[in-house]
Amino acid sequence: MSRKIFLFCFSLLFVLPALLFAQSLAEKVQEYHLDNGLTLLLVERHASPTVAAYISFKVGSVNENSQYRGVAHLLEHMLFKGTKIFGTKDYQQEEPLLKKIAGVGGRIDLLKGRSDTDPQELQQLQMQLTALQKEHRQLLVKDEFSKVYAENGGVGYNAFTGKDQTTYLINLPANKLELWAAIESDRLQNAVLREFYTEREVVREERRRSYESSPSGMLYETLLATAFKVHPYRYPIIGWECDIENLTLEETQTFLRNYYSPVNMVITLVGDFKSAAALALVKRYFGPLKPGLPVPEVVDQEPLQNGERRVRVIFDAEPQLLVAYHKPTMPHRDDYAFDILMQILGEGRTSRLYQSLVVEKQLVTGVSVFGAPGSRYNNLMTIALTPRRSCSCVDIESALYAELERLQTEPISAAEIEKARHQILTTILRRLQGNSGLARMLSSYEVLGGWKYLVEYEKELNSMTAADVMDVAKRYLQAHNRTVATLGRGGV
Amino acid sequence: MYRAVFVLLTFLLLFGCSQPPVAQQLRPDQLDFPPLEFHFPQIVTQELDNGMKLYLKEDHELPLVEMTLMVGGGSILDPLEKTGLSEFFAEVLATGGAGELTAAELEAELEGRAAELSVTSSDYAYEIHLSLHRQDLRRGFEILCDLLRRPRFEAERLELARKQLLESIHRKNDAPGSIARRLLSEAIYPQHPFGSVPAVAAVNSFSRVDLIDLHERYFHPNNVWMAVSGAVEQAELMVLLQQLLADWQPVQLPDMQLPELPSAPPARVFIVDKAVPQTSIMMGHAGISKDNPDLLPLQVANYILGGGGFNSRMMREVRSNRGLAYSVYSYFQIGRHLPGMFIAASETKCGSTSEVVSLMRELMQQMIDEQVSLAELALAKQSMINSFVFAFNDTHAVVSRKLRLGFYAYPERYLETYREKIAAVTVADVQRVAQQYLRPEQLQIVLVGTTADFAKDVGGCGLPLQRVPLTIH
Repeated sequence: MSRKIFLFCFSLLFVLPALLFAQSLAEKVQEYHLDNGLTLLLVERHASPTVAAYISFKVGSVNENSQYRGVAHLLEHMLFKGTKIFGTKDYQQEEPLLKKIAGVGGRIDLLKGRSDTDPQELQQLQMQLTALQKEHRQLLVKDEFSKVYAENGGVGYNAFTGKDQTTYLINLPANKLELWAAIESDRLQNAVLREFYTEREVVREERRRSYESSPSGMLYETLLATAFKVHPYRYPIIGWECDIENLTLEETQTFLRNYYSPVNMVITLVGDFKSAAALALVKRYFGPLKPGLPVPEVVDQEPLQNGERRVRVIFDAEPQLLVAYHKPTMPHRDDYAFDILMQILGEGRTSRLYQSLVVEKQLVTGVSVFGAPGSRYNNLMTIALTPRRSCSCVDIESALYAELERLQTEPISAAEIEKARHQILTTILRRLQGNSGLARMLSSYEVLGGWKYLVEYEKELNSMTAADVMDVAKRYLQAHNRTVATLGRGGV
Repeated sequence: MYRAVFVLLTFLLLFGCSQPPVAQQLRPDQLDFPPLEFHFPQIVTQELDNGMKLYLKEDHELPLVEMTLMVGGGSILDPLEKTGLSEFFAEVLATGGAGELTAAELEAELEGRAAELSVTSSDYAYEIHLSLHRQDLRRGFEILCDLLRRPRFEAERLELARKQLLESIHRKNDAPGSIARRLLSEAIYPQHPFGSVPAVAAVNSFSRVDLIDLHERYFHPNNVWMAVSGAVEQAELMVLLQQLLADWQPVQLPDMQLPELPSAPPARVFIVDKAVPQTSIMMGHAGISKDNPDLLPLQVANYILGGGGFNSRMMREVRSNRGLAYSVYSYFQIGRHLPGMFIAASETKCGSTSEVVSLMRELMQQMIDEQVSLAELALAKQSMINSFVFAFNDTHAVVSRKLRLGFYAYPERYLETYREKIAAVTVADVQRVAQQYLRPEQLQIVLVGTTADFAKDVGGCGLPLQRVPLTIH
């Protein structure tokens, strides 16, 4: 068990107030490791009688293979279905019915994709499944986690799955912290993945909503599948349509068993509690969990891109454009230079791309620059552009590439670098407002390799020079390392 | 890579739009919990000599200051032939320079200080938000005062804003959800600002004189409400206000003539063809305003119908039991003066459109025809009462909520009496308000998707059906 200090150094411009804040936080942020490998981060804050509670696992869609793509996300949904004591009127009575449903559902999955399947048999099985599901509903207490948290005043009860991590969160009145510990530790040990075949349909609707009916979703998904050839970052978190409809209950249970264990787990609590009591509570409820095995590293390596890739999505919408370059991820030194570079390019109305493409040349109405799609493995600098009606993508791309070229030939002024640094650090500072925001930030960085990254961050950022940024621009912002994805009505 | 982690949250997939305890056999929800200590946060409230209203809450944890200002005005006052003018005004106010600073200088100065400025327009107000480093308080405040008193509305920025707005008009048919939302407002509020969207001709007619007129009409100290939170001391703020705004004189404000709502059209269905595999479903009718004495009972009723997430009937029946949708909900948009909309919405694969529409209508009808169970009522009430503490979770949220309550003239002690009023709601109240405020006979239903997959089924629902072509004006 070790206690770490949260240190934030800020640039000279605002040393005084920043250090005041860093010192006050340094007294509060604590890191503990339970014997079973679980990591616990605590920040006491007594401004309001509430607590933000985050549980993150170091596993996401990047850890899937083609047999079960989409399972990390489907499992996240399934973990809201209850346990042996939640979500059921009587688990003893329910269990045999669950087995029957799994049997019929599994049989349907087996037959539905085969060309020699007797359609009548399939239809009969479907009817049988519907009848069993109806019978099953009699034994359920629907969405009981949600009910119990709600009646106890919980808000924002949710979860999200990313490429690199999966997180479960809730905000509770401070006096209900033990309720959270009791429910969540039960959920980890006794989860019952009931209503599987219905929830799988929900996920298919989610895919239709976020991707297939959304121009920006379709374009983003297509960009990733083009920019990455080998690395699993190329696949959508939710899975392709055919992945989702063929995921099995067994694969989902296996993923849970393999990865949701204390060695892969980070709990972050921010809010109104006493640290000693919170630590004791977490030990009492989560200490008995078996350590488990670490999630294996992804071995797939994306080969160097050796030529520009272009892809077109036809969609009934006005044009959109994404341009992406491969880049290394944290904590590689180049990644800090990219933070500055991306800030200079795309953040705010005084940024270079906004000034050049929106204000001066008036080729696009909006621009944003961001890192994607994950942060554990090498990723992409992505530039999203919204073309004006009268402007062709060719002109927009030329103007964009001229700006990227400028980064490689003209030194950036000290003032421009300093502005970018100040903005980046202020953005981080703003994220410390609010319990949930702070918990989310600590939790995200901890699963990516340690929240202490944030401690070192400013020092690294301050060590970046104009020459470093120029050097990174020269090495990465080259045509052969680029993927361009466009969307629109026509074929061009 | 600080940006990667957070920007990407938009691409993460949320679950929803949201060992039994050692040494004891109790279920987690049967544990004993200590009582919650909660006190209403103290907020400094002050009216300046010139009529400007100020709300302040100090919070010295971080070296940041947040300011939110509301100025009476807003889109409800846009003439129909100038729909979008208030939105345009807000954009050019934010980007057109102020006082001694040109547009470019103003942006450079704020962004150089890592400040964040935004100006938006809503139904009844212009809203300005400014976030600053503590040490930039004076300079930031000077710029803010210039923006309030001496905006420049520079011609070049005005033209840029016009082009941006025209572009957004051309993109209004891209996303099925936003098409559905727009058509629903148009259906409920025909020929009214609430149901109007900017058109090309109107946007082309906006002039700098229009903007100066709006500014002269509404930007006076006795029409400004201001909330400040963060690392600022009351005495210091008062000095700044005195130095920068003492000579800003109040004027007689124009009467706010709110255009009357049109009479409610009868129930009907609009179908819109869009080549997507999922139908965006939006339905609704005119609802209530905050002055309605049934406001809180109706919110309890709506929690049960479609507002309570996984604890609502819509989510249970449409998503959880049938797997027909990822998102389904209902809410009453509480009008601050005129009644807002009641909206219920979902998305489902085009082939099950009719089934989901029928289910949603049945669930509304059920609220009218039958009493809710005591258990459902208890859950809704407990959830609303016990989560009340989160209204005070964030310092700026606390002070800006107080600002809004003041700006819209909510009853005194609205927050203080909220919990007891919720606690008093009965099963009979829920049914009474459902009968009074859910109006199936006025329900406007908008369906955007591949109509070939659902038009026939929906045609059988007994309501008049109208096909709406997607055009750009």
